[in-house]
Amino acid sequence: MNLRAVSGLAIVAALAGTPALAQTIVAEKGVEADMVLLPKFLGILPFDQANAGAQEAHAELENPGKYLYTGPTPENSVAGQIEIITTSTSQGQDVVMLSNNAGDQVAPSAQAAQAAGTKVVTWDSPIPSSEGETLFVAQVDFNDIGAVMADMALSILGGEGEFATLSATPDAANQNAWIAAMEEALKDDKYAGLNHIDIVYGDDQSEISYNRALALVDKHPNLGLIMAPTSVGIVSAAKALQDEGLCDQIKVSGLGVPAEMVSYTLNGCAPEFALWDFVDLGYLTYYTSYLIATEQMKGEVGETFEAGRMGTYTIEKDPTRDNGSRVLMGPFTVYTKDNVEAAAQ
Amino acid sequence: MRNTFMSRISPTSMRILALLFVLILTILFFSTQIENYLNARLFNRISTSVAIILLIAVGQSVVVLTRNIDLSVGSVVGFVAYFVGGVVGAFPEIPAILVPVLAIALGACFGAFNGFLVSRFNLPSIIVTLATLAIFRSILVEFTDGSSITTASLPDWLTEFARLNAFVVGNFRVRWMVVISIVVALVVHVFLTRFRAGRQFYAVGSNPEAARVAGINVGRTVMQAFVISGALAGLAGFMFLARFGNITIVAGLGLELKSVGAVVVGGVNIFGGSGSVIGVLIGASLIDLLETSLVRWALVSEFWRDAVLGMLILLAVVTDTFMSRRLLARPTAKAAAAKTAADNTAAPIAAPGARQAEGS
Repeated sequence: MNLRAVSGLAIVAALAGTPALAQTIVAEKGVEADMVLLPKFLGILPFDQANAGAQEAHAELENPGKYLYTGPTPENSVAGQIEIITTSTSQGQDVVMLSNNAGDQVAPSAQAAQAAGTKVVTWDSPIPSSEGETLFVAQVDFNDIGAVMADMALSILGGEGEFATLSATPDAANQNAWIAAMEEALKDDKYAGLNHIDIVYGDDQSEISYNRALALVDKHPNLGLIMAPTSVGIVSAAKALQDEGLCDQIKVSGLGVPAEMVSYTLNGCAPEFALWDFVDLGYLTYYTSYLIATEQMKGEVGETFEAGRMGTYTIEKDPTRDNGSRVLMGPFTVYTKDNVEAAAQ
Repeated sequence: MRNTFMSRISPTSMRILALLFVLILTILFFSTQIENYLNARLFNRISTSVAIILLIAVGQSVVVLTRNIDLSVGSVVGFVAYFVGGVVGAFPEIPAILVPVLAIALGACFGAFNGFLVSRFNLPSIIVTLATLAIFRSILVEFTDGSSITTASLPDWLTEFARLNAFVVGNFRVRWMVVISIVVALVVHVFLTRFRAGRQFYAVGSNPEAARVAGINVGRTVMQAFVISGALAGLAGFMFLARFGNITIVAGLGLELKSVGAVVVGGVNIFGGSGSVIGVLIGASLIDLLETSLVRWALVSEFWRDAVLGMLILLAVVTDTFMSRRLLARPTAKAAAAKTAADNTAAPIAAPGARQAEGS
């Protein structure tokens, strides 16, 4: 308690000294805060990895409080997320780290949580209106995702050809934002030879994604590439094309987890795909949320803090939304046969 | 006794004919709407896709025949796929033949649990299996801690099984999965129609009291129906694992509705006692055909597809029921002759029916 006050004073002093250029906030370890990591839903690898990263930070920060990883099942994602936020609020948790799958529907429960003293930090997928959210820990700039997907399409199709998108659910906020960003990027003359012809939705279920991928193939005889900005979709599409012996004519790309994609990248079905590190995202989210929950950081634009092994980050205004602030993690990794095996370990 | 037997055979064959008609009509309709529609690829798609749902629907139909319903099948498929995937990933040296056996046994255990609750305590199956649908899924979520099975963790023979062809005729490829599934359906069909033990399912569903008086152990028959449904859902779980490779905790979600849809469209009376597995085969094919075709049909947007699918299923059922009634409403004298004819030709009609459905 004493230590915390001292370091708090130090921060205040530092801020007073340089009002324009804030001092880097270094986390004081061992302050108690109960933390809840709430993914969109349970059961897919990226969120498990984020959990691993958060656990790493939990141990490193020696937080005597409780850390809880809990989420809804996919079919109950929206209602389940709202329910877990409400439960966490009544339990008096200090912070809920939310990968939002409920759009703005989640805002009232997040606002109620904030009013009751439970902070809400979003990661992976923000609250679009930013209402009820302290800040958003963004994996990469959403516009960058669009550009990276357009670049992979360009390189796989060798400059020209038709490609289609296999997305998650029709109302998934981040996938829709990435597809929009990709379409924006495609307007550049560089991509004039590319033709983005269709979007289908596999609902982040293996069997639906698999069948949708094959439907795309049947529907468009000149299809050269399926772009799947979802870890479930990309691996299902790759398996479908491999099962049908179509990998020579049609490739798969998008956002995928190296451990799931390694065989398809090595056999040429999915020569290139991209992702950020979800372990790092979980780690950074935990660090940011810990600082906010323990009131070592306010979460205001301009604050700079150190996030352990990952270095220094500054809170900035989120340029991809009308309101709200974010911490931008970055960077992207594009995986090919040269680096996928190492990443899959 | 003889009269009820004949009047059952006849409408069943009528329904199959009506269904085949709807199936052909659907194919013709979409062939005018979608380019490159009528080709071998369509057959390959539908047949492989139907293989999994057919197994579940056949099990479901046995349960429905006894005036019950099994809503837990989606969770059973998901659980079995996940569990068997985990086991075969951890012990890749297990003999291949034991893997489907394990899947069937595990599924049968789930089925026995349902059957025990329904038959022992006389509980309504729709409530029991609605509860176990949620319970089995929750056990899966708890058991897996939310992680997933990946293709990379499975032995090669298993993932390759999904694309193994039994035989190839021109561009038509018939996968082993399809052959197994159809053989299972035919075996169940013969069992239900030709064996005394099989006819008991019809008897129990037609009139449980009469069946009891006739010396049939109603509870045991219902129990058997659930075990068959569970076992076939288990086998479907094995095929699901082989085909999709990546198994998450949502695997098999919604299969209960699809299987009940196939059973009802296939002409099995939801109040028990009548219906045929051949009809279910055509019903499952029809639903899958609609789903696959709608994705390719430019006129229907993503958001309306489910609604259109629902409407077309309703339409198919209405058409089927309407036609069956019309055909049945002929004058009694003619009907008697027709029934005798139908009785004699029932088997030959059913056999080309099966082939037609495969060809869709």
